[in-house]
Amino acid sequence: MPGDPFLFLSGDQGEQISAYSDEQIRQYKACYGLDQPIFRSYLSYLADLFRGRLGQSLYFNESVGHIVLRRLPWTVFLVCGAILFSTVLGTALGSLSAFYRNRLLDNVLYGFMMFFSEIPAFLIGLFFLFVFAASLGLFPLSGALTSFSPDRSVVQVLKDIIHHAVLPVAALSLTRLGGMYLLVRNIMISIIPKAYMRTARAKGLSRYRIFIRHGLRNALLPLTTRIFMSLGTLVGGAVLVENVFAYPGLGLMISQAVMVHDYPLIQGIFLVITLLVLSANLMSEVLYRVLDPRVKDGEG
Amino acid sequence: MRYTLPGKNLGARMEQMNRFTKNLHYFSPTGKAGLIILSLFFLMAVFSARLTTHPHDVSSGKALMPPCFDHVLGTDDIGVDLWSQLVYGARISLLVGFLTAGISGCFGALVGMFAGYTGGWMDRFFMRIIDGMMVLPDLPVMIVLAAFFGPGLAQVILVLSLFSWVFTARIVRSRVLVIKQKEYVIYARISGAGPVYLMRKHLFPEVLPLVWVSMIRLAGKAIVAEAGLSFLGLGDPTSRSWGLIIYHATRFPGIYYTRFWTWWLLYPFLALSGMVLALAFVCRDLETLADPRMNQKISGGV
Repeated sequence: MPGDPFLFLSGDQGEQISAYSDEQIRQYKACYGLDQPIFRSYLSYLADLFRGRLGQSLYFNESVGHIVLRRLPWTVFLVCGAILFSTVLGTALGSLSAFYRNRLLDNVLYGFMMFFSEIPAFLIGLFFLFVFAASLGLFPLSGALTSFSPDRSVVQVLKDIIHHAVLPVAALSLTRLGGMYLLVRNIMISIIPKAYMRTARAKGLSRYRIFIRHGLRNALLPLTTRIFMSLGTLVGGAVLVENVFAYPGLGLMISQAVMVHDYPLIQGIFLVITLLVLSANLMSEVLYRVLDPRVKDGEG
Repeated sequence: MRYTLPGKNLGARMEQMNRFTKNLHYFSPTGKAGLIILSLFFLMAVFSARLTTHPHDVSSGKALMPPCFDHVLGTDDIGVDLWSQLVYGARISLLVGFLTAGISGCFGALVGMFAGYTGGWMDRFFMRIIDGMMVLPDLPVMIVLAAFFGPGLAQVILVLSLFSWVFTARIVRSRVLVIKQKEYVIYARISGAGPVYLMRKHLFPEVLPLVWVSMIRLAGKAIVAEAGLSFLGLGDPTSRSWGLIIYHATRFPGIYYTRFWTWWLLYPFLALSGMVLALAFVCRDLETLADPRMNQKISGGV
């Protein structure tokens, strides 16, 4: 990868970048193992991987594993929050739309969703940042926690975390919301006229019970499919949104690492992210079997 | 937009053009609005030199001037006129979007047709690759690749195409599988038709509408991805891409405490959203036109 990491090591932003002497550069390279032929260093990287070590960050002079572990929870928090919010709200609004289909509420919601589902997450995030955070001052501008605060109770810390997370999660969810909404709406529209729904109503079951137990059940499998399929895009969106809000997650870290050409860190983060998404997809296969015993092999 | 099919005579081509313009009437109002907006952007990109009075890459006024008579949309932090930047940025967005769509669309269609037609282990092999790539988080990989290949428009297009072809391939393959079962194809094969003939005469025309739709969708995604990469600072720094304007704006220290964002950030934001939305609306209408069966169940944003 083009770009010498030692150029960035020797100076901060704005400072004079002094050159290392040849001797020092050779010393650094030996220390980080960068002077070995490519094949050798690749093999030793793999060997380290199996032992659980991801290498040493060149810029931060800290173990890559530690950096990743520190940042990972925030990204996971954002992604899970976005999934939760978009699924719950999407299901609720979709069912509502299906119930009042083709009336004003449905049309308004449909238009709204169509509009917002197409705008990319980081643009929505920018919009939120400037309108709600900068102009109106309702939400903090960056970070996940207010630093330098005196000791606070757990509840206060939690409230603070949520306060910081509202805008990023909202930005991420709005992009997914449209998809979930449409899915649930269409499924419910095709389910509602069915005979067994009428039977259930005739039996005297409450509307809610019918809706949830008989109706939404059909949406469960497609929803999970949709969630897992979009996990990759969601992580990508999280990367951008973290950059917009300066949220201290893996996304911000990877863009900083790319700026300073910190190879081990980039590799480490990238590996972790990809492995997580892939294993989530593997888990989803198991989940399908649990949710619907009729699913045969090779489906989905 | 013209259908340019190889080996078709002029009569068929004219008929297709007529059919196309007739179909335009079936566009919903949003679709028509989308088309108008897209053509506006297109005109903006083509006639950039005539539409701007100031250069787009050289400082031409005081820094950070609000919109006024001389600089219609204001200037950025080094004094370059924002309107010129926007207008030339349209070129970048359109170029990247449609080139990526074209390359990955063609490649994906070819792979999809090949995989669908061949069947067997080769088909399964391609499907594994496609499924794997669809699930991968594309942005982190694109970030790493973009940083690896270096800044530059060609590299960005390459990286974007690398990830976009899978969508077209998948759709095309499904359709080819369906067509393969049709009677006339089976009869043709029995009569001794070779694969090239079948592909040219039967598969290709059936698949083409899907490919167009997929290309437009890919163009939208590519434009967004390019803006995202530029926003992170990985795009071409010499191009005046809209994402790059936003990048500079958000890196400006103290941007949140000043009023500069009301023009410096707002207009590229509007331009990007406008283009993406226009493409999305057009895409939705094309989807319902091209294949009425796959309208509501499948579409709905990706």
